[in-house]
Formats: sequence, C-alpha cells, structure tokens
Amino acid sequence: MKFDISYIFDALPRLLEGALITLQVAILGFCFSIILATFITIVKTSFNSRIFNGFIAFYISFIRGTPLLVQIFLIYYVLPVFGLNLAPFPAGILAITLNSAAFVIEILRGGLASVPKGQFEAAKSLGISGYALWWKIILPQTFITSIPPLVNEFTMVLKATALLSVITVVELMRVSQQIYSANYHPVEVLSATFIIYFLMCFVVSRSSVFLEQRFKVKRS
Amino acid sequence: MLEYQIFFDYFPMILLGFWLTLKIVVCAIALGIPLGLILALGRRSNFIPISFFATSFIELFRNTPFIIQVFLFYYVLPFYGLRLSAEYVGILALAAFGSAYFAEIIRAGIDAIPKGQLESARAIGMTDWQSMKNIILPQTVSIVLPPLTNQTLTLIKESAILSTITVHELTMTGLMVQGETFRPFEVFIMVALLYWALNETIASIMRRIEKRYSRNRKQNKIVRSKIDIIKSSGFSR
Amino acid sequence: MKPNFLEIIDINKKFGNINALKNVFLNVSKGEVICIIGPSGCGKSTLLRTVNWLTPPDSGKVILKGEIIGSDTGKMTFEQNNSLNAFRARIGMVFQQFNVWPHLNALENVVRAQIVVRKIMRDEAEKKAIKILNEVGLKDKIDEWPDNLSGGQKQRLAIARSLAMDPILMLLDEPTSALDPELIGEVLSVLRNLVNEGMTMLIVTHELGFASRFGDKIVFMDAGEIIESGPPNTILKSPKTERLKLFLEKLSLTSL
Ligand SMILES: Nc1ncnc2c1ncn2[C@@H]1O[C@H](COP(=O)(O)OP(=O)(O)O)[C@@H](O)[C@H]1O
Ligand SMILES: [Mg+2]
Repeated sequence: MKFDISYIFDALPRLLEGALITLQVAILGFCFSIILATFITIVKTSFNSRIFNGFIAFYISFIRGTPLLVQIFLIYYVLPVFGLNLAPFPAGILAITLNSAAFVIEILRGGLASVPKGQFEAAKSLGISGYALWWKIILPQTFITSIPPLVNEFTMVLKATALLSVITVVELMRVSQQIYSANYHPVEVLSATFIIYFLMCFVVSRSSVFLEQRFKVKRS
Repeated sequence: MLEYQIFFDYFPMILLGFWLTLKIVVCAIALGIPLGLILALGRRSNFIPISFFATSFIELFRNTPFIIQVFLFYYVLPFYGLRLSAEYVGILALAAFGSAYFAEIIRAGIDAIPKGQLESARAIGMTDWQSMKNIILPQTVSIVLPPLTNQTLTLIKESAILSTITVHELTMTGLMVQGETFRPFEVFIMVALLYWALNETIASIMRRIEKRYSRNRKQNKIVRSKIDIIKSSGFSR
Repeated sequence: MKPNFLEIIDINKKFGNINALKNVFLNVSKGEVICIIGPSGCGKSTLLRTVNWLTPPDSGKVILKGEIIGSDTGKMTFEQNNSLNAFRARIGMVFQQFNVWPHLNALENVVRAQIVVRKIMRDEAEKKAIKILNEVGLKDKIDEWPDNLSGGQKQRLAIARSLAMDPILMLLDEPTSALDPELIGEVLSVLRNLVNEGMTMLIVTHELGFASRFGDKIVFMDAGEIIESGPPNTILKSPKTERLKLFLEKLSLTSL
C-alpha cells in the first residue's frame, strides 16, 4: 500500500466538522471548569473550613493521581449504577470539567498568592467586601497573572477531549476513527487528524503571549 | 451494595495488569530519557537540519493528544512493514510522547546553568561533548530531577490510553473484568486506587529525596529559582 | 628575525553595529606580562576571548609560537577544531566571575580537565592537583565544595585549574574585580608568583600598582582600539593622548 493523499482530501470536510465539535467540547468543559474552580477557590479562601479544604485536597489529589481515562470510565459506567444515566456527551463534559477544575484550582491558588495581602485589608477598610471584593478586585488580578498557565491548561483540555472518543462522543478523534474504519486507510486519515490537532493546540499555546500583552495594556 | 467478593476474585488479575503497566512505563522511561536528551541537544544544535528535526518532533508530540499518537504508531508501523505486538507499539509510543517532554525539561535545565560554566570548560580545551558530559549535564541533573519525576507520573497516567490498542495493562484489565462482572464501581475503584497509590508513592519518595538533597548540599540561588521556573511553567500535569 | 611568541594580527570584531575590536595588533614575547587597561565596554574582554577563539573575530589572525590558532572565520573543520582545543588546553583562562565548577570539589576542579583533555592518569593528575593547590594556598580546602569557598579562594582555585594544564600563556580577565578589597591581596600574590616564574600573561586589570610593578607593558584601549601601549612608567607617568590622561585621572579619583 502507498500513502494516498486523496484520502486526506476526501476526509477533510468531515474532519474539520469534528474539529469544530472538539473545540466546542473543550470550550464548554473549560468554562465549566473555570466556574467550578473559581467557586471552590472563593469558598476555600473565604471560609477556611477544615472539612471543606480537606475534601478539596482529597479531590485534587485523586484527580491528579489517576488517569483521565479511568475518571471518564468512572463517570460513564458508575453513575448509572447510582441511577444517574448520562448520555456520552454530557458525561464527557462532566469528566473534563471535574478533571480540569482540579488543575485550575491549583493555578488560581498560584495567581491568588501573587495578589498582595494588603489588598484584602485595604478593601475591607474601605468597606468593600464579599461580592465586590472578589469580583472587582481580587479575581481580575488573579486571572490576569494566571493567563499563561490557564492557556496551557486549555491546550491540555483540548488534547483531553480526544479521550471522549472512547465513550463514543463524536468529536475529531471519533470522526477520524469512523472514517478510516469505512475506507480502511487509517494512516492517511490519522495523519490528517494529527496535523489538525497540532494546529489547534499550537495556535492556542502561542496565543498566550498575545493575550498577556493585551490584558496588561488594558489594565494600565 | 458493594460486592466485596469481586475484590477477592479479581484482584490477582488486576494486579497482573498493574504489573504490565509498571513494566511498560519503566521501559518507556528507559527509552524516553536518552531520546529526550538527544532531542534536547539536537534542538540546541547549530546545525539547522538537526535542530529543525528535533524542534518539529518535540512540538508535534507536545501539541497533540497521546491517544492519536498511539493510534498513529499502531497503524503506521505496520504500514512501513514493522510488525510489533501491541505492548511494544505501546512502549514506543509512550517513549516518543515522553521524550518530547523530557527534552524540554532537559533543555530548560541546560539553559539554567550560567553561561560561564560552558565557557570555562571550552576555554580549558574540552570539546562540546566533553563539556556537556563533565560540566553541564551533571549540574543539570539536580535541577531536572523534580520535573522529570513529574513527567514520569504523567507517563503512568497516560499509559492507561494503551488500553485502546488492546494492551492488557491495568485499565484494559479493568475493562475486561467489568465486562465479565458488570460491577463497574468495584472494578474502577480498584483500578483508580492502584494508579493513585503508585502516584502518591513515587511523589512522596521524590519529595523526601528533594528535601534531603537540598539540606545536604547548598545549591546556588540562581539554580534554585530556575527549578521553580521549570516546575511552574506547565511542562506536565 | 625571531618570531614573536604570540602575535595578534589585525583583529576586528563587531557585535551588531558596535565595534568591539578595531584593527587590533599586538605582539607578545615569551615571559612578557601585558596589562590591558581601558574604560568599561572598550573591548578588553573581547580581545582576550579572541586570543583563544572563545569569541571568533570577524577577521584577523592569532598566532602562537608560529602556529595559527585561528584565522578567517566560517565553519571550522574537525581537524581545526581539534587543534583549537589543543591550543586552548595550553592557554589558561581566568574569569572575573571565577566560573569554578560547583558540582566538583576543589580537587576535582583541578583534576577533571587533566584527565578529560590531556588524558593523564587519575593518580598522576591528583598528585599534580594537590601540588598546585598547595602552591596557591588551598592545601586544606582540597575536599571543599566551591560553594563553601570565599571569592578569593574560588579565584585561586580557578587559577590552579588552569595551571594544572601546564599553560604556556595565561589570559586573565579582571581576576580581582569581583572580590572584596581585603581578598584582592591573596589573589595578586598568587599572580606575582606566576610572574616571577616567567609565565607569559595577558591580564586585564585596574590594579595599577600591580601593573606598574609587574607589567612589562601596559596597553590602553578605548572604543575597541589600542590607543597607546608601552612600558608602565611611560604610560602611567606621561600619557600622550588626552583619552588616556582622562582615564587615568578618573581611575585615581575613584581609588582615592
Ligand atoms: N556577546 C556579546 N553580544 C553583544 N555585544 C557584546 C557581546 N560581548 C561584548 N559586547 C559588546 O562589546 C563591547 C566590548 O565588550 P567587552 O569586551 O566585554 O568590554 P570590556 O571587557 O572592556 O568591558 C561592549 O560594548 C559590549 O557591550
Ligand atoms: Mg570585561
């Protein structure tokens, strides 16, 4: 057999559609993960409850210590045992969210540490508290300093979505498999898929510098 | 509601999968670190074809999901006439994946050594390779050890993906037991706990070594801060 | 005519559009001690670094004992590289920032290059290292890690490391500038011994006292060019150019 480039051209439209789904899944999962992680970070910092913090530490350790694939299986196969039947797509989003949030919490912890302690006190003495304190003062600074690791985390999520093909979420990887199991040209189809993933991740990871500059300028 | 019997009946089988996971990761590291070193030196080379190849390899493997790398290896190798069992394909894929990350860690470690170190070695008559071997790389080791360990933990986790090409490692074994017993909860908890335990064990050993190392031997401040940079720059998760 | 020991012929070096070295000629005979002075950024370090080709110049030649260390530029062949390394092994270089190797103890700092570059057996290399460490006054620091040495001790270790290679020429780039004042003396006294043993040296220094007592010649550089050179007395007592006068005035002001 020879490498036949025409199979790449034939597959390209469907692969690009798959890439769009991949982007959607990644963006959706990442947004949920940021929301969840932000919420947890605020609760952690504001209440400083031993039990809650202990539980979060346990959760982070578990997520970081086990393969995402196993986490996906746990959610996809185990939740139904408890009567919660999720379709592949929401199950996949849930797995990605829970996984990524653990890493985002750690990133935000780093970002938060770079916000001077005095700002909490200064805000309090000005009578700013709760919602306004976090929303207007602490979070913007935390997120801006966290841009590079957050962008890195997003590329991780982008790559992670490929695992959802295992529970039949029809994203880029799955589309690719569907195509080559029909035309029996896995080498060509997978090569094209490989390049598409590369372009997506590469562009995203290089955007870090750009984003950083943009937000730095806006702030000053 | 937990069926304890499953733990007893299937634990030996699961352990067998765990054992294969260990073997695969050890082989992948043994292959991946030297390859990573070659790639790191290649990327720093002044000879453009070499640095271009090394850079492309590193960036391609760092910016694509491991699962597609696995499938590519699985289909491409036989396409070019190299027929290997799934285990060997898995080891090769994991080693290639790991080496791209190892390379960047090693490169950052080399860059963290003050320039005067290489200059003094060259000035005394050492060749490039002699300077690397005697002066630069030994100093790099203590810097890169923590991030290399982190990357090793990543490889352990990523090895689960080899189940998709039917390598009978831990995750695959879990899937098989689940197919027999229809008790996903017990099975996947067992699997997850094994991964988790392995991870925590290695991480805690590493933390202890690091502590002892920094107590026994003073490291200069530049190098210390570089370690933190490497750690925080998202080389792996 | 007897050829010079070291000939530096028409060296030019640019960094971007900075002329780091411009038409530099310098002849050094065996046993001569040349002190190079000049304002910061005038190309003193660059000159030393072209001598052992650590910074290859854009054009020019360096000839040691009638053999070309390097000339022209572009890629060097494997053989040229080998001969360059052989030259470097016999040209000691001492840096302002010491650049001792922190992962090797004092003894090993002096031993390693002997073994790696000159292929000397370990026993012999160690014997020699101990002898030299003794000479530079580091006898009781043999097992010490560089991080535990003072600046003056580090610099003496760096000198010992070079001496172990039996250099026929030493290049010293501000060997005492990074040292606390009270540590300068111990390094200068090691250098004094070298001068007395007849070592050929190119030394960048602002220690004018040392230069006038031990230097055979002082070379004054400015903006990449050699402006004046001659015996210490002439250069320091009766400078011909305005630039040198200005420089000497500034130097004596700061050292007051
Ligand atoms: N590697 C380099 N890259 C760019 N410019 C350099 C480099 N090395 C030296 N220079 C420049 O060349 C000039 C001479 O430098 P140097 O020889 O170090 O001066 P000196 O040792 O007399 O203080 C300076 O202007 C310096 O900035
Ligand atoms: Mg200088």
